[in-house]
Amino acid sequence: VTAPAWLTEPEVGLCPCGCIGRRTRRGFVDKTLRGGAGVLRTALFSDEVSARPGLLQRIDPRVKLATVVALLVACGLVHRLAVLLAAYAATVVLAVASRVPMGLFLRRVWLFVPLFTGVVVLPATLNVITDGDVVVGLGTWFGHDLGITRQGLQAAALIVVRVATSISLVVLLVLTTSWTRLLASLRSLGVPRVFVLVLGMAYRYVFHLLGAVTDMYEARTARTPRPDTDVTRGRAFVTASAGALFGKAHTLAEEVHLAMVARGYRGSPRSLAPGRLRALDGVWALASVLAVVAILGADHALRG
Amino acid sequence: VHIPDGYLSPATCGVMGASMVPVWAVAARRVRRVVTTRYVPLVALGAAFSFLVMMFNVPVPDGTTAHGVGATLVAILLGPWAAVVAVTTALVIQALFFGDGGVLALGANCFNMAFVMPFVGYGISRALSGRVALTSPRRLLAAAVGAYVGINVAALCAAIEFGIQPDLFTAADGTPLYAPFHLSETIPAMLAAHLTVAGGVEAALTAGVIAYLQRANLPVLRINHRDVDDLTAGPPRRLGWRWAAIGLAVMVVLTPLGLLAPGGAFGEDAPQDLDLGRYGLKAVPTGLAKWSSFWNHAVLDGYGLGDGQNETVGYLLSAVVGIAVIAAVTGLAYLVARTVATRRREAGT
Repeated sequence: VTAPAWLTEPEVGLCPCGCIGRRTRRGFVDKTLRGGAGVLRTALFSDEVSARPGLLQRIDPRVKLATVVALLVACGLVHRLAVLLAAYAATVVLAVASRVPMGLFLRRVWLFVPLFTGVVVLPATLNVITDGDVVVGLGTWFGHDLGITRQGLQAAALIVVRVATSISLVVLLVLTTSWTRLLASLRSLGVPRVFVLVLGMAYRYVFHLLGAVTDMYEARTARTPRPDTDVTRGRAFVTASAGALFGKAHTLAEEVHLAMVARGYRGSPRSLAPGRLRALDGVWALASVLAVVAILGADHALRG
Repeated sequence: VHIPDGYLSPATCGVMGASMVPVWAVAARRVRRVVTTRYVPLVALGAAFSFLVMMFNVPVPDGTTAHGVGATLVAILLGPWAAVVAVTTALVIQALFFGDGGVLALGANCFNMAFVMPFVGYGISRALSGRVALTSPRRLLAAAVGAYVGINVAALCAAIEFGIQPDLFTAADGTPLYAPFHLSETIPAMLAAHLTVAGGVEAALTAGVIAYLQRANLPVLRINHRDVDDLTAGPPRRLGWRWAAIGLAVMVVLTPLGLLAPGGAFGEDAPQDLDLGRYGLKAVPTGLAKWSSFWNHAVLDGYGLGDGQNETVGYLLSAVVGIAVIAAVTGLAYLVARTVATRRREAGT
């Protein structure tokens, strides 16, 4: 079953902060409802992308997880901006080969990175934080010469591109792998069985409990004729609904436990048997190793 | 408090991940030991709850909203070890499914939010609530203070992880390779945000949920408080030696902070460094001059290796040797006291 496009695609052209279009300050009820809808949308969307016939979708999740971690470490060790830019370009090529929608892939990285990382590292370009050769003088403030340093600019560019490349790699992994197969691969990578079982069950019941949260919040919205701005009342509602949610989760845990025992659970979980590795997985693993060597080699050569 | 990939060096991520491995191992063993079949669904649903709690927007007085972490809340409801598993699971789902928070930085994120935060928050709340009744308002205060301190200590850990990056990882020309801010900038920035808004939201959320459960769903509070009565307080609990050991361990872990402190300790200067004019003196008093250098055979003179090199290593070595000596002397004194007490008892009977 594929979800219709209008359901899974985020609203195009509307910045999530609401700076374009109608500028209404959203209350906590609306925000939480939208957050819940966002979780569902992401789940439907990545289910859909992971079923597409692309390059990364064909790779075994175990191999994919291990190689993505290796590539993340390699990108983490790079000192040169040019090498990181090349690595970022390679992730874009991989996204095209895996039929990940380009607009979303670029937006997910470039909406988040400048907004958070960019703003955070901006002060670091000044000589008061990162000492070095001043390239743009900003005059004298309180008796101190203020200016933007070459080292500061380099550091800011380095961290922005590094964060962008890392996020792109993780987004590629997340969007092209179905959750059940990823879970099975964790077990064969040595994660304890208990953790895999808890992880799988938690993921399944996140969506169930999300339905309960949405119901509570929609019921409140339906009974609210005009926006309630009282902070204390709002907080009382939030904490009461969180408490009610825990009560529901606890009741559900009891029922799930009884159902598990009725079906023969005696404390030793079984997980999905991971499939056999194919030739393509070997080729991908080899290509990733070569990419790691190339990234580190190029960086070393450029450092001189 | 979520740290994305790219802010911390792979070496830092490796160290943080490695330090979480024993915690996860103990947590997994505990989960298996406690009533085997019932515990797994409870912890799994706790994990789903802790994922969703991070989504709840709490209204803040200025008209905007903020969201909490809920690690202390889960620790109070299910116990700290279950909270380690539950919050770790929530963070893994966020990282591997939604791409929020880093994959490499997962170890660091888990250390801050799935280990430090529930244990600090739970420890403080338990110490403050003592054995008062389950419906007592003191439990709300204890939960609020625990959550507030817990999130601030977690933020302090994150600030330290960020702040050590430029000191440890800098290119030859002085370009910081990862997070560029120093400890003197990260600690005030993180704590300013968490001592005010984030800490307040966490405290309000935790205490609010406990208050609701006290009114509406008392059986749920009993999951982790089996020995406490609903309405009457139990006998006061004696603080065990274990708490003293935990306090001492925290202080040992914080020892390296001494390396960052500027200046020296008051009244510990060498005589030649004294500002004599300030005290109206013309010369170093003869007694001080004679006795200050009376003993100069210290093994680790000036908390260093003596040659003035490797100050950091020398400082840490001094700390380790000092702790070992104190532990040995205390242990010896304890053994002597116990032997004497046993002899007396035997002589008396």
